[in-house]
Amino acid sequence: MAAHLSYGRVNLNVLREAVRRELREFLDKCAGSKAIVWDEYLTGPFGLIAQYSLLKEHEVEKMFTLKGSRLPAADVKNIIFFVRPRLELMDIIAENVLSEDKRGPARDFHILFVPRRSLLCEQRLKDLGVLGSFIHREEYSLDLIPFDGDLLSMESEGAFKECYLESDQTSLYHAAKGLMTLQALYGTIPQIFGKGECARQVANMMIRMKREFTGSQNSIFPVFDNLLLLDRNVDLLTPLATQLTYEGLIDEIYGIQNTSEDFFDKLTVEQEFMSGIDTDKVNSYIEDCIAQKHPLIKVLRLVCLQSVCNSGLKQKVLDYYKKEILQTYGYEHILTLYNLEKAGLLKPQTGGRNNYPTIRKTLRLWMDDVNEQNPTDISYVYSGYAPLSVRLAQLLSRPGWRSIEEVLRILPGPHFEERQPLPTGLQKKRQPGENRVTLIFFLGGVTFAEIAALRFLSQLEDGGTEYVIATTKLMNGASWIESLMEKPF
Amino acid sequence: MDCYTANWNPLGDSAFYRKYELYSMDWDLKEELRDCLVAAAPYGGPIALLRNPWRKEKAASVRPVLEIYSASGLPLASLLWKSGTVVSLGWSAEEELLCVQEDGGVLVYGLHGDFRRHFSMGNEVLQNRILDARIFHTEFGSGVAILTGAHRFILSANVSDLKLRRMPEVPGLQGAPTCWTALCQDRVAHILLAVGPDLYLLDQSACSAVTPFGLAPGVSSFLQMAVSFTYRHLALFTDTGYIWMGTASLKEKLCEFNCNIRAPPKQMVWCSRPRSKERAVVVAWERRLMVVGDAPESIQFVLDEDSYLVPELDGVRIFSRSTHEFLHEVPVASEEIFKIASMAPGALLLEAQKEYEKESQKADEYLREIQELGQLTQAVQQCIEAAGHEHRPDMQKSLLRAASFGKCFLDRFPPDSFVRMCQDLRVLNAIRDYHIGIPLTYSQYKQLTIQVLLDRLVLRRLYPLAIQICEYLRLPEVQGVSRILAHWACYKVQQKDVSDEDVARAINQKLGDTPGVSYSDIAARAYGCGRTELAIKLLEYEPRSGEQVPLLLKMKRSKLALSKAIESGDTDLVFTVLLHLKNELNRGDFFMTLRNQPMALSLYRQFCKHQELETLKDLYNQDDNHQELGSFHIRASYAAEERIEGRVAALQTAADAFYKAKNEFAAKATEDQMRLLRLQRRLEDELGGRFLDLSLHDTVTTLILGGHNKRAEQLARDFRIPDKRLWWLKLTALADLEDWEELEKFSKSKKSPIGYLPFVEICMKQHNKYEAKKYASRVGPEQKVKALLLVGDVAQAADVAIEHRNEAELSLVLSHCTGATDGATADKIQRARAQAQKK
Repeated sequence: MAAHLSYGRVNLNVLREAVRRELREFLDKCAGSKAIVWDEYLTGPFGLIAQYSLLKEHEVEKMFTLKGSRLPAADVKNIIFFVRPRLELMDIIAENVLSEDKRGPARDFHILFVPRRSLLCEQRLKDLGVLGSFIHREEYSLDLIPFDGDLLSMESEGAFKECYLESDQTSLYHAAKGLMTLQALYGTIPQIFGKGECARQVANMMIRMKREFTGSQNSIFPVFDNLLLLDRNVDLLTPLATQLTYEGLIDEIYGIQNTSEDFFDKLTVEQEFMSGIDTDKVNSYIEDCIAQKHPLIKVLRLVCLQSVCNSGLKQKVLDYYKKEILQTYGYEHILTLYNLEKAGLLKPQTGGRNNYPTIRKTLRLWMDDVNEQNPTDISYVYSGYAPLSVRLAQLLSRPGWRSIEEVLRILPGPHFEERQPLPTGLQKKRQPGENRVTLIFFLGGVTFAEIAALRFLSQLEDGGTEYVIATTKLMNGASWIESLMEKPF
Repeated sequence: MDCYTANWNPLGDSAFYRKYELYSMDWDLKEELRDCLVAAAPYGGPIALLRNPWRKEKAASVRPVLEIYSASGLPLASLLWKSGTVVSLGWSAEEELLCVQEDGGVLVYGLHGDFRRHFSMGNEVLQNRILDARIFHTEFGSGVAILTGAHRFILSANVSDLKLRRMPEVPGLQGAPTCWTALCQDRVAHILLAVGPDLYLLDQSACSAVTPFGLAPGVSSFLQMAVSFTYRHLALFTDTGYIWMGTASLKEKLCEFNCNIRAPPKQMVWCSRPRSKERAVVVAWERRLMVVGDAPESIQFVLDEDSYLVPELDGVRIFSRSTHEFLHEVPVASEEIFKIASMAPGALLLEAQKEYEKESQKADEYLREIQELGQLTQAVQQCIEAAGHEHRPDMQKSLLRAASFGKCFLDRFPPDSFVRMCQDLRVLNAIRDYHIGIPLTYSQYKQLTIQVLLDRLVLRRLYPLAIQICEYLRLPEVQGVSRILAHWACYKVQQKDVSDEDVARAINQKLGDTPGVSYSDIAARAYGCGRTELAIKLLEYEPRSGEQVPLLLKMKRSKLALSKAIESGDTDLVFTVLLHLKNELNRGDFFMTLRNQPMALSLYRQFCKHQELETLKDLYNQDDNHQELGSFHIRASYAAEERIEGRVAALQTAADAFYKAKNEFAAKATEDQMRLLRLQRRLEDELGGRFLDLSLHDTVTTLILGGHNKRAEQLARDFRIPDKRLWWLKLTALADLEDWEELEKFSKSKKSPIGYLPFVEICMKQHNKYEAKKYASRVGPEQKVKALLLVGDVAQAADVAIEHRNEAELSLVLSHCTGATDGATADKIQRARAQAQKK
């Protein structure tokens, strides 16, 4: 039992126990002593659901990191590879297996694909002549990992980049699968809302997957009242701003050296941008940062923030920033700049129209009177700026999105609503005063400040809605920008 | 009820054997059984007959007929045998008929006479022919053992996974063995054979002579051997009319019997059941049937007709031209209840119930008797159990009535066993009906399981009955009804006279969205029958893309497979189809296909990025995607090329592409980069040191740090570095060098575009307060306070702030006032504040 997962409105321990059970069952299939060879990327997520003691109880005696050539010697009966389904990893596995074959006593090899088995990878193993060496080839659907009583993450680093730069919807497919697993454990979610292209796709996949499972009617009483799917690119602004909650600050400052003065200057600039001041000209603070060669990520974050708060920069301003960056940090960053443009973070203003003020006013994104000690509004998490994403969630629950149709049309991607009919026996009769539970899924990442804002809404006495948060990745502006950077050497 | 035990025959002191009729056979046999090859499947399975023209040297011109009947004699199939000489027939565990030919070929038929497949027992047999063959059953499936003309044994333990094993040679074996059998011990199949007085056991590695424990002397030949249903026991019949019965290992003897008949029996089979009291062997001659066990007397029956014995799990079936009977050891519960003068609780309960029906008070007496002994529960259980072993429904009913009666007097008798027995008997009676003709006993039924029984009904195409049974037993749909419907559909697709549309529609109408039905399985079957179009139609009903796609690929409908894969959102599936398409189509067509499927195209690009860079370029070229081509060549300039010329060339290509993409900024930037690269190269040559791949900014800095100020200036001019940034750059570089003199010179070269606060800051960073102070004085009024605070001159900062009457500056200074030294300053500020407020 992980106590921290069960305090919330939805007991996420149920999920944790389900994935642990699945893991144990797999381990027990491979009878006898075992060594696990890890795809390094997976050790973090696995650590959250199964400690070494669990593995040890199931006769896991050795653990290695997946590397080329030979495996370290281990006197075990089974060797199990825990890997993501990636071709390059298959090549390494094949190398391991082939050199092990020459070594002597026969071992039983197994593969556990996380989170999904892949025909493509199996074909590769077959081409490399080792597919037959594996006794068990299975998948471990570890899509959503419980982090906290109200927080789930897929910890998929590249999700945003894959979705928005590479049009690769693999992580969306996993997200849909993860949501199906959640529904299997917590009941069908009767209403699905969404905003954004990816949200639409995930909802489509879910509906399709539901059809595939016509056989097994879900007879679990639904825990979630609705699901809100949100594309990260509907709100590119929020993660760019410096988070000012406790957890957010730790997340931001960890590993970054900043003098307090500079930090203050930076905040001032950010706040100016977010409240719509001087977003259309070259900012001298940013200029100075470049001239002093401050960390590139910081600079990019600020330039992107300015661009987003101005619905794109004037071509002259944009080119000036870009030139300054290329000359100072190196021409190779032309690739990174292009990526940021593709993602819509840094772009020329088209049509000469700045939509941000309309969005800011309608959604009340900027609040001048913030009470940080006893907050009354979510804007406290950014000292004045109310995260757009959370505002959308808040407005959805009350009074509904119909009131903001105009803004929704300005924001990218379609907005939609789907219903998943429930058999009459499972329909909820709400008690007076009982809060709704909304599962909000951020496709492309979520920040701690947004989580804090949603938790704040959950705690409001007359809020009416409690949130459980799911995401492809827990992130901050820096890690986000970094994931979009390309370093050719 | 006295007459009920009339057909019970005691064997020894403890056991009774009885024989009752299952069916009167009205099959219209054209041949005598003795002239036919006969194979009857266990578990009440079908009977196959093939008139054996090859045995009698009749005119071979008459082709024999292969006939298949149900156990009740209903014809299931009849076909003219056009293939080679058949040595032996046998049924597999899946009720497929294996016809072993003399030439080693084995033809496999379904029970409707439909040809399934064909396999061979090896080339060796082609020359030597097969003398004899046996089909046997193991826990893995059905095996075939053959004896070749060269007197070698070859066997396969599982015909669905054919692996031929050539058994070791029997030393000095000249002729065929007198008798032999396949044995199965420790999951391995062996052969036991008799040559005159000697027995040999062949396992994988060796041939060993074996002797049955306690065999009577004087045997000169073994004429017949029989292995029990479970392979646990073996019986040997010798030329002296002596029968040895023991374990299959031959190491233990159960009993022996001398029947005084020296004629070789036609058949000998074991007749026993699980937990048998008295195991027996049934020996059949032309007109005589004998049951022998550990008893001085045997049970004898006269055979009026040619008969054939079929060993079962719990008895022996005996069929002839006119009748089909079952011979078995009377089960314990039945014996307890029906044995003459039995005082067993079940017997008393049965009596009590009968008296109750007669409204006699004896009912009460019997009941009391049972209750006084506290045996009512046991009595009810006995009646339920005995009902299961009765073949006649009236007997079943009367026993169940008794059980039900007894239950009334028990407080807490769990009802399941009674209910389950009622259900089981209902199913059993239904399938025993001669229209169906599966005479399973209760024990066989339990051993077989309901799932297998349903499979067998499906094999017989008895879909409605199977569905009725599922519904009656309330089996979950996935295990029950859907499975049967799926089988029905698979049968339906084989009806070639019905059009694709009609079949697809009929199947969909009946199956709809029934859970657990796999349309892809049905489609695969349709494809197997050569009906590709039908298969595609059926696949349309399949909701799971993961199932659709592989079959579509197999049917070479890759493009359809691609769109299905894309629909599913499963990128792995899309990749799989793409790689398939890539091999299947020529490059042009493949690219064209991709072009029409943007999602697939972007996935394939990702694949190429990691696996086939050159193809990636071609893809961008095809789409005239000059922007991406530009990026591609930028990457290439770093990845592939070491030489500067190569790098510059790659960059030139990139720049050209950017121009084509109308991205002037990127083109110019790339040209700048080329210029910088060449220049850095020259700097390395002329000045030494490392310049390549430094940013412009760092190149200038490096030049300044190296004292090449002129060159630095030139470079800054060439690349039009804005003044402000250049000042920051120089300032930083000179401070790093701690060249204070040069810094001062620089600061005075003209009016600083960045003001003088940065000078103060940078000197302080290098902990040079002395230099910092010089610049603090030059800082403009707006930043003066900041500058003074930086150099630690709190007092003067306070003065300036007071002079400015600036509240923010005042607070800032105040926050810097620490300790006693600044006490006066703090007071001063407070005073100034107070004064300001007064005004």
